[in-house]
Amino acid sequence: MHLAAVDYMAVNGKSFLHKAGPHSKILMTLLLIAGVLIADSLAKLGLIFIFTAALVVLSEADLREILHLIIYPAFFSIVFALIGMQRSVAAGLAVLLRAIDAAMAVILLITTTSYVDIFAVLSIFLPGVILDIFIFTYRSLFILLEKLEDLLRSIRLRGGYHPLRLALNFRNTAGMIGVLIIHSFDMSDRLYRIYTLRGYSGRIPLTRKFKTGVCDVVLVVVSVLMLTGVIIKWSIW
Amino acid sequence: MSHIHLPDGILPFAWWASAYIVCIAVLCIMLRLIKKGEVRRKVPFTGVMSALMLISMSVPLGFIPIHMSLSVLNGILAGPALGFIAVFVVNIMLSLMGHGGLSVAGLNTLLMGSEVLIGYYMFTALKRHMKPSLAAGISALVALTVSVALMFGVLAATIGTEEALPGHESGEHGIGKEQPASFLSLSGWSAAAVILIIGMLTEALVTGLIVSFFSRVRPDLIDAPAVSESNRMG
Repeated sequence: MHLAAVDYMAVNGKSFLHKAGPHSKILMTLLLIAGVLIADSLAKLGLIFIFTAALVVLSEADLREILHLIIYPAFFSIVFALIGMQRSVAAGLAVLLRAIDAAMAVILLITTTSYVDIFAVLSIFLPGVILDIFIFTYRSLFILLEKLEDLLRSIRLRGGYHPLRLALNFRNTAGMIGVLIIHSFDMSDRLYRIYTLRGYSGRIPLTRKFKTGVCDVVLVVVSVLMLTGVIIKWSIW
Repeated sequence: MSHIHLPDGILPFAWWASAYIVCIAVLCIMLRLIKKGEVRRKVPFTGVMSALMLISMSVPLGFIPIHMSLSVLNGILAGPALGFIAVFVVNIMLSLMGHGGLSVAGLNTLLMGSEVLIGYYMFTALKRHMKPSLAAGISALVALTVSVALMFGVLAATIGTEEALPGHESGEHGIGKEQPASFLSLSGWSAAAVILIIGMLTEALVTGLIVSFFSRVRPDLIDAPAVSESNRMG
């Protein structure tokens, strides 16, 4: 799922986008997605694409990883794009561009903002329980992924996985997930004890002081202008 | 399994907005169902369960182009309320990774949440009368059938009934040519339907096998999900 690569880019990046506050980047992402959903012409979608792509390049992200991440939504929109193309080529291309634009906006956010910062902004709106589950999910994910890789390697080395032997794969996959779940139970137990020792009382505290600099203002203003431009019915188109 | 990988901008506004409203309403009900005193103990487990669901979506099953979601198993182990919240968290995190649009996360939560709720209640009713592994397998199959039917309903509403239903091929658009029937002719939506059926059977089978594994190794996990676990932790 490229999670480790995304996390690495978000935490170690040094671009101006990485320095901008998470609140402004989340707002920018939402404005861009709103623009994508409202846009009624290929030109407007193309403009959003150019803007988002420029920001991706400026963010100094690993473009190969970004491309991998964009392939998923592009692939899943192809069926709908083909159906749209039965009406017109422009309609089909619009479906494809919408998917890519929106995905790129979200990917730009996650490759320039750490998940903890995103959760901090979400903590303004979400109940504490759900937010804590987000944090525990994120924390457990890396530990369990490592465990899964070890288990998969171990199964493969012992000849327990073969692409064409489905029955064997099912049995071993089920056993592997079973072991992983039992490991998870023990892990959640440990997590609970560790957090209780650290004073956890039902809500993990997150820093909510977001500094607003010139960069944040510029990002939001440009995004608002983009959205305004998308909403206006230009006579030249 | 019935997670829709629809990107943003495909589903009409009315659909995804109303799905979000229903999803938030269900989440509020689920949050009320969890006893306040127990929440603190259950939160880490739910987080780990969400992580497991995310991971299971990346486990390859050989040459079949599907992945499992383990939402029924999540319901069986975590219970309906925590299971539903876990599904919400999973869908938001997936959409942040480009797996399904952010606007579709509410709808995906409802689809996968239906698997959690149906799976949990069916398993609870069936396990009194049969082996837990069989009860889990049947519950998973029924829950997946319902959620896949709902998924096709959403697709039908988005792209039209004719396009969404299996059996319709792109070549049928008003050409009027009669084609000879063929038992091995699988393409387009027919192929997708076959893959979905294989996927449902696979997930049901794997869910049954995992519960069978628990019956042998840790039967306490199936007998009283999450609650007893939290007591055990204390």
